[in-house]
Amino acid sequence: MTIRVVTDSTSDLPAHLAGDLGITVVPCNVMFGDDTYRDGVDLKPDEFFQKLGASQRLPTTSQPSVADFEGVYRQLLDEGHEIVSVHVSQKLSGTYNSAIQAKAEIGESAPITVVDSQMASIGLGLLTLQAARAAQTALDHRETAEKVQAALPLTGCIVALDTLEYLQKGGRIGKAQAFAGSLLKVKPILKLEDGEVHPLERPRSLDRATRRLAELAREQAPLRQLAVIHSTESERSTELKRSLSDLLSEDQIIETRFGPALGVYVGPRAFGVAFTREG
Amino acid sequence: MAGITGNEFREALLAATRCMEQYREVINSLNVFPVPDGDTGTNMLLTMRSGVEHLEGADSGDVGAVAGSWSNGTFRGARGNSGVILSQYFKGLALGLEGAAACDGQALGSAFSRASQTAYSAVGDPKEGTMLTVIRRAGEEVQRMLGEGVSDPLALWDAALEEARVALSLTPTQLPALREAGVVDSGGLGIVAILAGALDYLKTGNTGPVELELGEISGIEVALTGVETSISGDFLHSSEEAEWGYCTQFLLEGEGLSLEQIREDINGLADSVVVIGDAEMIRVHAHLMDPGAALTYGVSMGQLSQISIENMSIQNRGWVAGHRDRPAVEQGTGVVAVASGDGFAELFRDAGCAGLVSGGQTMNPSIQQLVEAAAGAGLSDVIVLPNNKNIVLTAEQAKQAAPEGQAIHVVPTTTVPQGVAATLAFNPVRSVEDNLAAMKEAVEVVVTLEVTHAVRDATVDGVAVTEGQFMALSDGGLAAVGGSAEDALLDALKGVDLDEDSIVTVYWGEALTGGDAEETGRRLEELVPGLQVDVIEGGQPHYPYLVSVE
Repeated sequence: MTIRVVTDSTSDLPAHLAGDLGITVVPCNVMFGDDTYRDGVDLKPDEFFQKLGASQRLPTTSQPSVADFEGVYRQLLDEGHEIVSVHVSQKLSGTYNSAIQAKAEIGESAPITVVDSQMASIGLGLLTLQAARAAQTALDHRETAEKVQAALPLTGCIVALDTLEYLQKGGRIGKAQAFAGSLLKVKPILKLEDGEVHPLERPRSLDRATRRLAELAREQAPLRQLAVIHSTESERSTELKRSLSDLLSEDQIIETRFGPALGVYVGPRAFGVAFTREG
Repeated sequence: MAGITGNEFREALLAATRCMEQYREVINSLNVFPVPDGDTGTNMLLTMRSGVEHLEGADSGDVGAVAGSWSNGTFRGARGNSGVILSQYFKGLALGLEGAAACDGQALGSAFSRASQTAYSAVGDPKEGTMLTVIRRAGEEVQRMLGEGVSDPLALWDAALEEARVALSLTPTQLPALREAGVVDSGGLGIVAILAGALDYLKTGNTGPVELELGEISGIEVALTGVETSISGDFLHSSEEAEWGYCTQFLLEGEGLSLEQIREDINGLADSVVVIGDAEMIRVHAHLMDPGAALTYGVSMGQLSQISIENMSIQNRGWVAGHRDRPAVEQGTGVVAVASGDGFAELFRDAGCAGLVSGGQTMNPSIQQLVEAAAGAGLSDVIVLPNNKNIVLTAEQAKQAAPEGQAIHVVPTTTVPQGVAATLAFNPVRSVEDNLAAMKEAVEVVVTLEVTHAVRDATVDGVAVTEGQFMALSDGGLAAVGGSAEDALLDALKGVDLDEDSIVTVYWGEALTGGDAEETGRRLEELVPGLQVDVIEGGQPHYPYLVSVE
């Protein structure tokens, strides 16, 4: 018996990390008009952001179906595994509910624990990685889930956007509504807290936002995990990684990219950091 | 002017009555002493209306006669503690003006002094920090000015009004009940309204509403907004707990009455005693638990008429309810900004301001406007951005006038670009304290350049500027002069530290077009490689360019 970790594609995990740790990523769906794409499977970030720039109408997203999760769960169970399924905040998406229903379909006694990470993007990604590591030594799926729960308050995600427009139109703006002003072209810095988007600051340029993001990440030290992420401008995450290399060595800092499902909400030129503090 | 004629004095009294009418509700709501029953303004107004009735048909040829008729009328119609004291004040004025055809400086001085004496003498136990203090200090100021050789009656009246304002502002420092409630004295405000209303007519012939200009008073607490007043919750509560007894008033007619003896006797029975009149007719005002005692005493001395007994505990409960019945405010923090120009209005709204007040360099908003905007935000904490150095003080005073359940805070921004920076530093999910700190910090790093054109030849900061030239001020000091707004701006920017990390925001005014401004923006970008220049429509008057560098 082994414990396997399942997550969804909003975790923005680099494929090689997910592969190395045996993490199953269930894709969300991204729709441009009538065309539906499976996030990360049919549609990769480069192609997505290109389409986003060219599309008149904003794309929409949908959670994986109950059947999607059920299929993944049944296969893993058939292979003799227990399952810890870690997902995007249920305040932002119905993915968690799909997973819960899939478990119910299979049977409440099935060895599956579904966890609401209260995070999204690589913040969720970091928690998924912790789950996978914990799974290697834990007794069962419950103990693995408990370790994820313990890491949850230590994990954070802070992003800077070029514009709030995408988040607003996508209906996920939450408490960041107060930063909606666009005339001054502010670059809102937001954080995920209690599973929701909270406003932090609004500098006037992306350069200033980059510096502030580094400072805000630094305030969280000492760190156990650190990731940097961008949507279209890799130099932002490279710069963040370089300026934070004294907190964790550069090869330990995960560098990744907003996938299509998250890209719908953060838009081009967004970037961010996610971290897990030392407990 | 040589002197105020009878006809002018008559019109001035009518104007004073209108002004009292205008501020009656404010005065009522400030009424906390001696009994918080919310009727000072009404009593003063009704007393004056009785004066108005007596002026009708009276000879208005000479000022002494007008003052006499007015005094008679106010005596007959005097109501309440403040009304009775007020009628004595008018009696003193009339005595000072007796026999005068016109009121010159000397006559005015004597009238104001007598008025002060008679007002004090009417009260059994005069207290400082009340309308008496305001009346006395106005009179003293006129005497002082006369001593300095000022003889113009309007100049003297002006000085009296100004002194009355100051005295009013200091009343909370003298009377504990006012300090506790956080207000200025209501009757004192009534005196200011009377002096201001009359003077405004004498100076300008204005027969419309009058601005009391209490915003000019500096460094003191003025709990006054023009419509809304706020009484501390503790004061409301303790006033409700107390037993206030009965306000008992009557007119006593008899022969050979001794005013002094009667005053002393009533004073032994009651509080807030005001006894005025002469040997034939005396008006009595007293507060006591048993009104019968005062009436019994009265009938032993002569005939009683105009008997009025009011239960002050009931009045107090109505007054307390009025103060508690304020619109509900939600827990939370919002920003109210002062700005002029459509562009700025939209900008502040877009940036998330909960309220906007129109105003600026030549158009300063009143305390009332700021408080109304704050109240309109419906939040428990409101941060006001005055955005002009002439408005900072008004904003500070608005703090004291915040409605019940709401606190007003001020980040003392002196320019609109500072206000924009402060607004962007605001975050509604943070605490007020954190926001105030962040906003003040944001203001400090902003340099504001203001470009305007000289309307006449002048010397500014030691530099000669000729009419039509453009001046660029950097944080208020002259930085450059040029033949065009653009030249002055570019020149001034050379004196500001700029690097590729600087952000220059150009807010263009109503006199320009977006095309002009974009062109200027391009010229600015050339100053430093990589410089971020944002060009935004401010729509402000007077300044073709307002520019921030941060």
